[in-house]
Amino acid sequence: MNVEKEMDGVEVKKSCCFFCHQNCGVLAYVKDDKVLRIEGDPDHPTNSGGLCCRGNIALLHLDHPARVNYPLKRKGARGAGEWERITWDHALTEIATRLGNIKEHYGAEAVATAGGTLRTDDWARRRFMNLFGSPNGFHNSHLCWVPTFLIETAISGWCPFETDLGGGSRCLVQWGHNPGASGMPEMRGITELKRQGMKLIVIDPKFTETAAKADLWLPLRPGSDAALALAWLHVIIYEGLYDQQFVENWTVGFDRLTQHVAQYTPEWAATLTWLDPELIRQGARMYAQNKPGNIQWGVALDQSGKSAGAGIHARALLRALTGNLDAPGSDLMTGPSKDFITDEEIEANDWLPEEQRAKQIGSDRFKLTTWPGYKEIADLTREVWGKAPTAEWMCEAHPPSVFRAILTEKPYPVKALLVSATNPVNSYGNAKEVLEALRKVDFLVTCEYWLTPTAMLSDYVLPIGGALERPVITSTYGCSDTIIGSQRAIQPMYERKLDYDFWRGLGLKLGQGDMWPWETVEEAYYYRIYNLGYGVSSFDEFVETQRFHFPEREYYRYGQIGFATPSRKVELYSTTLEKLGYPPMPTYISPAENEVDDPELAQEYPLVLTTAGGFMPYHHSEHFQIKELRFLRHEPYFDINPVTAAEYGIKDGDWAWVETRRGRIRQKANVTEAIAPRVVMTQRGWWYPERDATEPELSRCLESNANVLTATDDAFCDPQGGSWANRGLLCKVYKAQNGQGKADN
Amino acid sequence: MARYAMVIDTRRCIGCHSCTVACRTHNHLPVEMIYNPVMTIGPTGKFPSLHLSHLPLLCMHCANPPCVDGCPTRASQQREDGVVFIDQNKCISCKTCIMSCPYGARKANHETGTVQKCDFCRDRLAEEKLPHCVATCHQKARIFGDLDDPTSEVYKLVNTEKVTRIHEELGTEAHVFYIVS
Repeated sequence: MNVEKEMDGVEVKKSCCFFCHQNCGVLAYVKDDKVLRIEGDPDHPTNSGGLCCRGNIALLHLDHPARVNYPLKRKGARGAGEWERITWDHALTEIATRLGNIKEHYGAEAVATAGGTLRTDDWARRRFMNLFGSPNGFHNSHLCWVPTFLIETAISGWCPFETDLGGGSRCLVQWGHNPGASGMPEMRGITELKRQGMKLIVIDPKFTETAAKADLWLPLRPGSDAALALAWLHVIIYEGLYDQQFVENWTVGFDRLTQHVAQYTPEWAATLTWLDPELIRQGARMYAQNKPGNIQWGVALDQSGKSAGAGIHARALLRALTGNLDAPGSDLMTGPSKDFITDEEIEANDWLPEEQRAKQIGSDRFKLTTWPGYKEIADLTREVWGKAPTAEWMCEAHPPSVFRAILTEKPYPVKALLVSATNPVNSYGNAKEVLEALRKVDFLVTCEYWLTPTAMLSDYVLPIGGALERPVITSTYGCSDTIIGSQRAIQPMYERKLDYDFWRGLGLKLGQGDMWPWETVEEAYYYRIYNLGYGVSSFDEFVETQRFHFPEREYYRYGQIGFATPSRKVELYSTTLEKLGYPPMPTYISPAENEVDDPELAQEYPLVLTTAGGFMPYHHSEHFQIKELRFLRHEPYFDINPVTAAEYGIKDGDWAWVETRRGRIRQKANVTEAIAPRVVMTQRGWWYPERDATEPELSRCLESNANVLTATDDAFCDPQGGSWANRGLLCKVYKAQNGQGKADN
Repeated sequence: MARYAMVIDTRRCIGCHSCTVACRTHNHLPVEMIYNPVMTIGPTGKFPSLHLSHLPLLCMHCANPPCVDGCPTRASQQREDGVVFIDQNKCISCKTCIMSCPYGARKANHETGTVQKCDFCRDRLAEEKLPHCVATCHQKARIFGDLDDPTSEVYKLVNTEKVTRIHEELGTEAHVFYIVS
């Protein structure tokens, strides 16, 4: 389309992509509230004009024929697909009435909410829940950064998530992170720095897009990260590679740690990680001797289940030992923003009474990521930084336990589930149990773009505006001191509204009127950025004239304020974790299922499974209905080594079953040298929007769904943070006869 | 007069297919039509000693384009700036050009009843914008510009890096250059 020809009245809006949470800048050419075309914003600090596959299909997503455009109320049986179109006001009134009744009979805690990834204004959801009185909001956050954030904050007073690559990094460790498939802008930065001599270490069972560019690739056994991290600690301490000055001046517990990790030799780790001891040493040396260096966060450790906390803890100490904290080029602790209103400050957490906090599901067991641990850590950060981390994400109910509460009414009944921006049957662990809970819960409301299997089971479905239809604040889950603003290109199409409008609207119906002074999300954003002092009169004006707020980077801030821990130093022996009842020093925990502890299980399930990470062009369980992306990967694939495939008579492209103790799924075999002979790697997220969406088919949401294989019983969960096991499970693989076969549902 | 060319730095490419999707989406092509596929080669070798590379393809905008020579209706043309394009009003979809292109760059569009291919986004060039596949590439693996302009990035790369062209032996004088290692 030649926009120039019709430039009259065309406005260029500084919008952003909304198909993952990097929020790459997008310029939208808009006329008469219609987006004529989009392109990557060449001046945006994140993407400099680039857009990935997903970013390019924004206009197809915007008005896709399968989008939900009007509020829907269920008419027939659950999952029958019979809907009545109603107004927003009508829907909110009925939902509010129902929630009010549930609160009266069962208590506010009987209302839970499930969220997705960072694709919402979930501070508003938190605010609603706090005002309503329920502590039972949750996300998949246990699998995504939150245990890492909290353990690192317990140890060093803030999570050092800001990898200062541009500050002169000489070594980058990508630990279970593949930006080559999931973080395109990051990957460009890595390529540039590698050309300037930065070393790249990739720790990943698979020879990924990123591993292909690495100086050193450590293909460890899935789920054995804790053993590798502990062995690195051993090497760095016992080979004297640590930063003596930093350790002496700014840490406590070094002697105890030295003694503690004596047992974790590379030889000990070799049998657990399947890596040669020399390769383990080589990695530790490369990281410790090329300073400054970075360990970028990746989800792999968060997703390891019971060994997650141990691995995260050990990895966190590597930075402290090498002094790679807050030094130029290392991993920086930005702390919360002093300048703008953070997510936490707008969540109304003080409104949730102590007695309701105590009822948070999972807080009796997984203390780190629920009120007990969060409060401990937040109090410390308030003392030093003046503010606390976001409570949404960092302090939530334990999702598998909430699904089980729906099924068992233990510890008490959960009667309503409000779902926003997630399709739990595909995104949460142990999918069969999740599906059962979704079918059983008394009252189910879903805010969505699409009629997902979860939406199909709902009593109400609310149509939500997506990319180009919403303004966005990007600030690393509200935990960074930087902010990037993007404006909406157009008002939501049809009768779509934003998730903010949903929570606020529901709040107004339930008597929370005083607490929702901002009619639109832009008004709320303006309130948040007002103190930045740019003299703008609206959020849109901030975007148009500033776009971002990046305070000048100050290094070594701990020199002035100390670390936000009880000792004000980095705690190699963590008193905070100890107080919560967890090991003060990282202590080896074996992978969720493994051949060492359970050789009998390994006889029946001889292969090691990881349910893996992102792959282009999808994001989590999204985009399978967009044929302009689906053509790249029509069908789900799992990776299997040629040796193993031959052993089981599986050829490239064959449909095969992958089975764990929880169930089995069908994916096609990608026979590849990229993984070790004993490893199987499945793709995540898959459901089939082109199939029958009604019960019992539900778009065959279990058939190829990797979460049928994952494990969420308490025994599989990390005792600290409650992460369930997506990695390091035992499985078997066999060919699907004639390519057919019925899945477990 | 400019002489447009593209350099593809395969060392930067990660095989994300963004260029393929951008091209097809913004040029409004049917779902089965791809002007610029990305071929992934590998991983080759034996675990764990492996190599992986990607080869983005497109019309090579040859200086000696066999497709133009063979076109019976003169629909296939070459501009002075080197851009090879197909005049959609003259194309009768005889597919002679598809047979004569050694790069497989031309596709029959069953919706329009014509043959189509990459034209370096002529409409974008007219607006002084980069082709979609270049603009969208996060990795900056595709570099586009005027080979006659000594200050251009493509000029610098072609004259300083070790570049190679596909089917050099055919004498097509392709104007897409690859940096392989």
